[in-house]
Amino acid sequence: MKLRLPLLSTAAVLALVAACTPGTGGGGGGDGKSFEFWSFSAINQKLTVDAYTAKHPDIEIKLTEVGTSTETAQSLTTALAGGKVPDLVLIQGDNLPQFVEQPQNFVDLRTLGADDIKGDYLDWVWNQSVAKDGEVLGVPTDVGGMAVAYRTDLFAAAGLPTDREAVSALWPTWDAFIETGKRYKQATGKAFTDNAATSVFYQAVNQVSEKYYSADRKLVYSTNPQVKAAFDLGIKAATAGITSGQSSFESAWSAGMAQGQYAAVSAPSWMLNSIRSTAPDTKGKWDIAKIPGASGNWGGSYLAIPKRAKNPQAAWNYIKEMQSPQGQLEHFSRVGALPSTPSVYQDAKLTDAKDPFFSDAPTGKIYTDSLLGLKPFYIGPDSAAIGQEFLNAITNVEQSGGDPATAWDDAVRNIKTAIGE
Amino acid sequence: MTAGTLTPLPSADLPPPAAPKARGLGERLSPYAYIAPFFVIFGVFGLFPFAFTFYVALFDWNPIGDQVFIGVDNFTRMFGDPRFWNATGNTLSIWALSTIPQLLLALVLAHVLNHARLRFALFFRMSVLVPYVTSVAATAIVFAQLFDRDYGLLNWLLGLVGVEPVDFVQSTWGSHVLIATMVTWRWFGYTTLLYLASLQSVPRSVFEAAAIDGAGPWQRFRHITVPSLRPVIIFTVVTSTIGGLQIFTEPLLIASGAPLTCGAVRQCQTLTLFLYEQGFGQFEFGYGSAIGVALFVMVVAIAAINYLLSTRIKADR
Repeated sequence: MKLRLPLLSTAAVLALVAACTPGTGGGGGGDGKSFEFWSFSAINQKLTVDAYTAKHPDIEIKLTEVGTSTETAQSLTTALAGGKVPDLVLIQGDNLPQFVEQPQNFVDLRTLGADDIKGDYLDWVWNQSVAKDGEVLGVPTDVGGMAVAYRTDLFAAAGLPTDREAVSALWPTWDAFIETGKRYKQATGKAFTDNAATSVFYQAVNQVSEKYYSADRKLVYSTNPQVKAAFDLGIKAATAGITSGQSSFESAWSAGMAQGQYAAVSAPSWMLNSIRSTAPDTKGKWDIAKIPGASGNWGGSYLAIPKRAKNPQAAWNYIKEMQSPQGQLEHFSRVGALPSTPSVYQDAKLTDAKDPFFSDAPTGKIYTDSLLGLKPFYIGPDSAAIGQEFLNAITNVEQSGGDPATAWDDAVRNIKTAIGE
Repeated sequence: MTAGTLTPLPSADLPPPAAPKARGLGERLSPYAYIAPFFVIFGVFGLFPFAFTFYVALFDWNPIGDQVFIGVDNFTRMFGDPRFWNATGNTLSIWALSTIPQLLLALVLAHVLNHARLRFALFFRMSVLVPYVTSVAATAIVFAQLFDRDYGLLNWLLGLVGVEPVDFVQSTWGSHVLIATMVTWRWFGYTTLLYLASLQSVPRSVFEAAAIDGAGPWQRFRHITVPSLRPVIIFTVVTSTIGGLQIFTEPLLIASGAPLTCGAVRQCQTLTLFLYEQGFGQFEFGYGSAIGVALFVMVVAIAAINYLLSTRIKADR
């Protein structure tokens, strides 16, 4: 029984998926009154879907919460390669480039009127879903923004300020953030932040004007001084003894958060939901301060319509209504996802929003501020793989005793292997 | 009944020769129809995909983009890929750490369970099979928690005797030991039962005669148990080796932060996990298939060694 089954079944899946040719068949053919929608789990998409069907009782939406954003992208890839595709699918920003590379799999939203609504969105967010010949593949649903969530009770116990303005003033730069970490560690003997890889490097590397690719879409990850500087910050934090060395979203990370094993964690707007659900008993003990360094963004998702969708028009009507500036503002009020439509950034519903879980921090204002003056960079098809290898190299130093002196060279070598450069 | 009143032969009642021919065709074909479902399904889900993997391995195959024929480039790339050799090394290391203790443990247990004066023998014999019927995912989750760096029971025990906490998942040897423990835990009962079944065919009188002749427990084990189990030992070595080459679920589940690589530096990424990462994480179907082909070659090589060994054992007898 344990002999060849895994090999054969893997081969079976490979071949079944591969046997079907992509891009066959055209759109349309549905009833226009119902459509299938694939989304991630744990982001409360159902609330928004219900809000839409309440307004349009004649429309039926079959919502499937596929899994994490990565699992959703994997299922979508399999579906595009030959299975039954949804009419509407949510794609996370990190997974988007691999689909943008293959625009023939999606409806060019310009044919449905995307050009008319383009002006509503942050242009650098919009541009990430534009393929090489100008096809528009997705409409941005939200952006991440950046901030640091911290535990006021633990900060107080360490003799650090707890007021969010004063805490933000503690760390104008990432070096100052690491110094604060050392102060905290000295006072309490405990870890200051969860890990260096995600909480420091992954934030800092998203605050650059040019990341792994240059503006003309050439790979520059190994020569770009901004990437190297972010990496060095990550290594510095990893070797400063201020982290608890738990990778984000691991079970020990969740347990550590609930037990107050670390006092600060980098938190793009979508992370707030994660903190709420991971450590519900810590309600009211958190607050949110500014991110060290410059403005930046991590995350955000897009809605796309696969080419073989049966009901593209019904899906587009949904996009147009729910992703309008007002639609996104309502979505923000419902679940806290930050709108990608700057016209509502001054709206009182956003600026006055306070989150009781985080000591009534004005989340809307903090996160939109973190986007001001952001310098957009190009995200390419290998960006996710490159980022993962850099993360791994820092995690290796942080958790497995890797040599910090060779970490950069190791990372670059691993990236070359990974992307087959 | 006497010899003179023999009942007529059944053939005398048979209809004329033409009829049995027609029925004979249907009868001759019907067995194939009965077994056809298995072979059709095997062909569709087993044989075809299996053969197709060899085909895909020759392509740069993007499932939602182009499929470019590149010949053996995937294989050249694989032989120069440190990640492939790392995965091979991890697989062999985990295999050695799991198979050898597992077989030794099973051998001793089978010897004990076969003991004539063992009370509640059935209970003990059934108990060893419990880990085998436990879901592998459940086993992996429980073991990952037992071995956890910060909240694990094992590190708590180590802490009581003053040992610094060990980060099993993040270190190379630690993660291998962890996975090997899970594999051993899952399979030792199954192997024990195989040995036990084989041992029970050895007449008890042989053991008794040896005991009367003054052979101690160790001598009986060494000179009766082990030799009489030789064919089944070879069999279990081969099956657990082939199974060991395909360890997948355990490494996938223990490093929840980086599941597809089993940790930041691929410290416990096995070959099947590497295949999965390339095929379904990176969607490099061609490269993933090439890894699958390499794995197949290894399995075939081991099966061939098995064949040679078992024919030699037969010849010895």
